[in-house]
Amino acid sequence: MTELVQQLVDGLGRGSEYALIALGIAVMFGVMHLVNFAYGVLITVSGYAAFYVLDAGWSWWAAIPAIIGASVATSLVTELVAFRRVRGADDATMLLTSFGLFFVVSALFVMYVGPNVKNFERPSWVTNTVTVGSIRLEVFDLTTLGVTAVTLAGTAFLVRRTMFGISLRAAAADFDAARLMGVRSNRVIQGAFALAGLLAGIASVFILMRAGRTSPTFGETAMLKGILAALIGGLGSLSGAVIGGFTLGLVEVFLIARLPDDLVGLTNGIVFVLIALLFIFRPGGIVSVRHAERV
Amino acid sequence: MALLEVEDLSCRYGSITAVRDVDLVVDAGELIGLIGPNGAGKTTTLNGIAGLHPPAAGRVVFDGADITGAAPDALLRSGLALVPEHRRIFVDLTVEENLKVGGVTADRRTREQRLDELGERFPVLRAKWTTHAGYLSGGEAQQLAVARALMSSPRLLLMDEPTLGLAPTLVDTIFELVVALRDAGTTLLVVEQNASRLLEIADRAYVMRTGEVATSGTGAELLAQGDLFESYVGGGA
Amino acid sequence: MSIALVRRGLAPLGGSAVLFGVLLAGATLYASSGGASRDRLVTQMMINAIIVVGIQVFVGSTGILSFGHVGFAGIAAYVFAVLAIDSERKATIIGNAPFGLADVDVTPWVALLAAIAVCVVVAVVLGLGLVRSGAQSGAVAATVITLSLLFVVHEVAVNWTDLTGGDRAGLSFAIGDTLSSMAPVYVALFASIVVARLFAETRVGWYARASRDDTLAARAMGINPSVPQMVALVVSVVIVAVGGSLRVYDLGTVTPKFFFLDYTLLTLTMLIVGGRRSVTGALVGTVIITAGNELARYLAGPDVDVPGMDWLFREGLSEIFLGGAMLGFMILRPKGLLDDWELDRWWSDRWRRRHEATPTAPATAPAPSPATLTTSAVTVEFGGFTALRGASIAARNDAVLGLIGPNGAGKTTLLNVITGLVPPTTGSVALDGVDVTSWPSHRLARDGLVRTFQNLRLFGSLTVRENVAVAALVGEQFRGDRQRPTVDELLAVSQLWEQRDRRARELDYGNSRRLELARAASVAPLFLLLDEPTSGMSETESLEMIGTVRTIAAAVGAGVIVIDHDLGFITGICETITCLDQGEVIAVGTPAEIQADPAVRAAYLGTHTPSAP
Repeated sequence: MTELVQQLVDGLGRGSEYALIALGIAVMFGVMHLVNFAYGVLITVSGYAAFYVLDAGWSWWAAIPAIIGASVATSLVTELVAFRRVRGADDATMLLTSFGLFFVVSALFVMYVGPNVKNFERPSWVTNTVTVGSIRLEVFDLTTLGVTAVTLAGTAFLVRRTMFGISLRAAAADFDAARLMGVRSNRVIQGAFALAGLLAGIASVFILMRAGRTSPTFGETAMLKGILAALIGGLGSLSGAVIGGFTLGLVEVFLIARLPDDLVGLTNGIVFVLIALLFIFRPGGIVSVRHAERV
Repeated sequence: MALLEVEDLSCRYGSITAVRDVDLVVDAGELIGLIGPNGAGKTTTLNGIAGLHPPAAGRVVFDGADITGAAPDALLRSGLALVPEHRRIFVDLTVEENLKVGGVTADRRTREQRLDELGERFPVLRAKWTTHAGYLSGGEAQQLAVARALMSSPRLLLMDEPTLGLAPTLVDTIFELVVALRDAGTTLLVVEQNASRLLEIADRAYVMRTGEVATSGTGAELLAQGDLFESYVGGGA
Repeated sequence: MSIALVRRGLAPLGGSAVLFGVLLAGATLYASSGGASRDRLVTQMMINAIIVVGIQVFVGSTGILSFGHVGFAGIAAYVFAVLAIDSERKATIIGNAPFGLADVDVTPWVALLAAIAVCVVVAVVLGLGLVRSGAQSGAVAATVITLSLLFVVHEVAVNWTDLTGGDRAGLSFAIGDTLSSMAPVYVALFASIVVARLFAETRVGWYARASRDDTLAARAMGINPSVPQMVALVVSVVIVAVGGSLRVYDLGTVTPKFFFLDYTLLTLTMLIVGGRRSVTGALVGTVIITAGNELARYLAGPDVDVPGMDWLFREGLSEIFLGGAMLGFMILRPKGLLDDWELDRWWSDRWRRRHEATPTAPATAPAPSPATLTTSAVTVEFGGFTALRGASIAARNDAVLGLIGPNGAGKTTLLNVITGLVPPTTGSVALDGVDVTSWPSHRLARDGLVRTFQNLRLFGSLTVRENVAVAALVGEQFRGDRQRPTVDELLAVSQLWEQRDRRARELDYGNSRRLELARAASVAPLFLLLDEPTSGMSETESLEMIGTVRTIAAAVGAGVIVIDHDLGFITGICETITCLDQGEVIAVGTPAEIQADPAVRAAYLGTHTPSAP
């Protein structure tokens, strides 16, 4: 029993990271109809920002704003350089744009920073635990969980209740019609990218604290997990993204715990297969989002 | 001084000149019609004025200021609003949210006030306040589009085919609304397929054909032209 | 020689031969003036071309972007390698392989067949999820699922070391045991091109493209999008499986990295440069990117030392080139260099135009045996809102029934119920006595209920003629026994003949409405259900439509149910009119009766009397 609860908490902790990334993906998709491959780039850039700051002798208190700042700035740059120019194009075009961008940036890192993994110090409290009854909880997991909950609430509020959020959804639905209403659509879309950058930054903080290293392709797997989490939850739904993230985290932890040793390496593979099955039986994801369309 | 003056307006789509040397004058308080067959360039003209499609040549002067090619969001702040062709309401937003977007340039209190006013004026919309706009019928959507444009209290309201696809009673409602707006002080420039009905209420109208202004006059004058008029409005482009 | 035979058979064969010939000639020329490295490059380019063509078959037909085809190629490569590597070698590299595979010894042919078979099985399973998910959440969800496949294959290849050799050593053939002649590659490439072009011109290929442009409209014309999508997937996977097997057989080795993101970038860039929708484009793109990539690799390599350019000519340049090409094309020319142009179609279109005659008006169909379409007490509730309440209407297939009423009265909802888009909460729909309530739209269309849409839904990238022709294919397949006007006759009577070669999305409003009508009629339905066919038309055009609709209905022998707000049109064309208000039928009668009915006047017609002109 305690083992189960332990795994539950571990899963939720791991799932929180996925949930944060999925949230950023969901903001981009639900609001811009864009599945952004280049999202992984934000995580990679954050990694290098952390490395350079820590390498220069600063503490994690300096690294955190550096991470978030780098992520937001990079996100805005990708909007300016690439995504603004394919606005309104079909989904496949935008996907491919982000795909190409992802490779270009990764290649730039390889060319100018070097392909090697860069290690850095993890903060000292990462390995702290707290014991409740017979369950050992990692402080890190609890913090991630808490931050995720707050972030979700904040993002949901922003997108659903504020004028910024309403303007954003309008501009995403019909860029020109929104301008006719007086919405500064360009600014508003930039705002969305900044928001997505912020979310990626927050996620990166925790991912980097846990991993303690970075490389040109570091963001790849995390991003893919985030995309899958958003899909599982129901693409376009903010709460779905978070649910998807937690689900993914839990499934992973349970699989790792239960699988016989020689099959553990196949965890990821099994997860992917389960996801494919989910889509056969529930194509819209857990929180299926229906689009209002009158025929 | 006229509220809106359009001089020698020309608009192009690639190599095709859709609108050529169009002159229009709209005085404050007037209801001006813009009629003509399909493909005559009426929508292109409105879009050229409202900043959706920057003109290739010519000038647009609004309330004394040259606004040629200005961005639509800037124009809205100056008091010029467009109810576009096919309405273009935001289908994934609720009725209330659609209206709020229309009032994005106003401060919160004014916006809330206008929401209340429009809710009263359009009871059909009030009944569906939290419905996603994508589920509205054609007539409801048209009312939403007009109400949305009214959220910014424009001085000049451009309307592109407001009765497209509407049932006759609703056509009545829309025309009554247009007259009421004019009576309350809004200046209107309306493009309509339903030419005869528009001419009954318009102060003046311009008839466009193949990208140019073919003739103009008061509503009564144009209606009296009978056959000649039919040949302008009846036939295809 | 029939136009169809030329277009569907001879032209694709001929065009493929020409394309292959040009490619082969160019490649041979290039390779002859160089050494072994040039031979290698040419072989690899041709193998890549096979895979790119395979991907194109799927992406071009369905419009769904797939990242998974490289995963399929990887599956094929591993299956092929595991089987084709001789058992002596297998014993040393994967001696612990499961299922006794280390002792298996088969010829490369058998290995190839096995690779194809495994890929097809996986494709069918994946396809089920893909098609269902795509229908619900759109193409993006489908694409991400294909991405999952890519990652699954990679994960399995890395981790199942007993079978795959893991990610360090992988699998490798014994020296000298690899592909020795170019002939299989040539044959495979030529075959792939031919299959791709022939598939595109089959009925299924056309159904796929129509579904790609507008899934809902395709269903309304009787097409079930899932089937063409699955077929396209399987055909594409077979081609890709051949390419993957050849790749490993030629390279002599495989590791997980060979069929992962880098190769996906390479093949997708090749695809989009030429144009996602064209086989010719796929080949053109492959050549251009191969050349560019080689140049980039050369510049970044040790043989080049240009002073001052070291910052650019270094490792990573190749990825910058590929990623940059991808980005550049998506921003500047997302349709690719050729968009959907095909060599053989260009030629066969010219041939057709020289040989086709201006069509005459269609003959009137013989009087159809009477059939009725009725709804009985249909009620539709959306959440708390009742859109329809006990609506019963009756239509005959030799008459025109009008449906009028204020907006929100439920007219389109009723149409949606009849055509299977909306299930009624209670009540039923019967076609000629058969209960067809809640049948899926495509099945209803095949049985004779075809509709047009209030918000235009044409197959935009297809020409005017092709829009009508693809519906005619459905008519031919499912309603072959009925009298059908030819495509050309329908175009003529709808005044669309002059525009027949223009893309549907370029048409103006009036012509678009007429095309919707012609396309629907082409299926040879029992009943045509028209949703606001004169919306946006001028008075003259609306009155002309009366004649057009009558003629077309007579040519096809169909009854008509029409929703519209243009009173001149409705009273002119209908024998009977039903008026709805707030979800209920409030009056049924002749046009004269309806116009005099006080309930109808109050709810719908209004009290406005026009001033005399």
